[in-house]
Amino acid sequence: MNFSHLHLLLNHFPVIGTIVGLGLFLVSFAGKNEDLRRSSYLIFAGVALLTIPTFLSGYGAMLMIQGPGVSDALVQRHQGSAMLSFWFMEATAAFSLIALWHSRLSSRPGNWNVAAILLFSLVTAGLMARTGNTGGDIRHPEVRGGQELSANGKVTEGPVGSLLYAIEPTPDKFMQAVVFSKWWWTFMMIMHFLGLILIIGTVGLFDIRIMGFLKRLPIGPLHQLLPWGIAGLGVNILTGMLGFIGQPTNYIYKGVFWFKMLSLMLLGVNAAAFYMTGIFEGVERVGPGEDAPVAAKLVAASSLLLWFAVITFGRYIQFSLDTLGAAGN
Amino acid sequence: MAVPEILHTIEKTALSTWLRESPSFFGFYFFLTLHTIGMALLVGGNAVIDLRILGAAPSIPLKPLRGLFSIMWAGLATSVTTGVLLLLAYPTKELTNPDFYAKLTFITLGVIIMRKVDIRVFGDSSLDELAMIAKGKVLARWSLFFWIGVVTLGRLLPDTAIYGTFGHPAGG
Repeated sequence: MNFSHLHLLLNHFPVIGTIVGLGLFLVSFAGKNEDLRRSSYLIFAGVALLTIPTFLSGYGAMLMIQGPGVSDALVQRHQGSAMLSFWFMEATAAFSLIALWHSRLSSRPGNWNVAAILLFSLVTAGLMARTGNTGGDIRHPEVRGGQELSANGKVTEGPVGSLLYAIEPTPDKFMQAVVFSKWWWTFMMIMHFLGLILIIGTVGLFDIRIMGFLKRLPIGPLHQLLPWGIAGLGVNILTGMLGFIGQPTNYIYKGVFWFKMLSLMLLGVNAAAFYMTGIFEGVERVGPGEDAPVAAKLVAASSLLLWFAVITFGRYIQFSLDTLGAAGN
Repeated sequence: MAVPEILHTIEKTALSTWLRESPSFFGFYFFLTLHTIGMALLVGGNAVIDLRILGAAPSIPLKPLRGLFSIMWAGLATSVTTGVLLLLAYPTKELTNPDFYAKLTFITLGVIIMRKVDIRVFGDSSLDELAMIAKGKVLARWSLFFWIGVVTLGRLLPDTAIYGTFGHPAGG
């Protein structure tokens, strides 16, 4: 499997997933169905996670197909479109996680929160559709329609495309903005480590208590620390992705980087197993001195193991060689 | 100012050379990874206790959080042990860098605050939760300040280094 295979495998999830999530979200207003609305929040969060490797593999695929016969203007347009839709997707997921948190506390999310999800998911769905379209245009001239390449190699856009094109980042300029100063880069890396500390401190404490350590603590109240961990994750996704955009070739060819991403995806699966199979409800009421169910212990242990894997793979990125090569094999 | 020759002598030892140049998985980056994990346990544990004292997640009972201190001490032991090995790998780079001494100072102050929180806030069994919070608030603020400082100063080390190895300027 190479980067193009991986990108083709993943790139439909953000487009279709956002539309499915948005559909459920809109339908939930008709019947005031809170379960349906919570499902849409979960879909947005899951799709946002999958959008990360989709974006990363897209960069690898771009490096593979560069050359004669492939329009650089179309590739750049797709990349700029992907950059914009990526950030809107992550923002939609962030608002969704806030809403899920309020739902858990038996209180409804604030109107501002629901309005933000509505606005961001609508924009994200549109931007994702545009990203899918611009990606298809690269290899499929038969679907380009009126978007012909002009003689100087520039893309001729329709009215909507022109508007979007004006607000989409120019990939090279965005990349240079991220690495404009070594102090800015260091600041991002400091924030990346502080985010990790918040995750390990809060999620790690929750995990080890479920595993059976620090048994004098009741488990339910520890969950109140989760927003700090989620905030740490948000900081790390932001700084990590900016780091990748700034120096993509430092990461893309390294196997350990992809293992780090795989660990992150598995953490998403782990979290889904914890919250969507009734395991969380089982541990929420575990009091001081009591044991959590075995299934919960397994999920907590794998969470802790995967976070340490994320740290380890992250640290070895600098050490490891470019094992994947330009072909991405 | 001349760089002391002793740093060159340390750099030439077999251990220092191996730590710096070994392509083994268990070389420099292995200890750097353990150093990171140790720091995450140490600072992560401190952050949770500080945030709780300062009002986050008030439903968590404060007293049982004392169990976190053993994890934090283990994190400190791991960080110090691996830190010494990392220092052995690059003695000139670190010991000629003022930022390194600032980091050590912040670690010392962070550990002193941590010990005070352990003894004064958690170690006094006569205190109820409200009294613990009242006694710990100022310490918790200083603790967060010093540990964030340690992380910041640590990440600044590569950018502020004057030398890479003995006789070789950083980045050269």
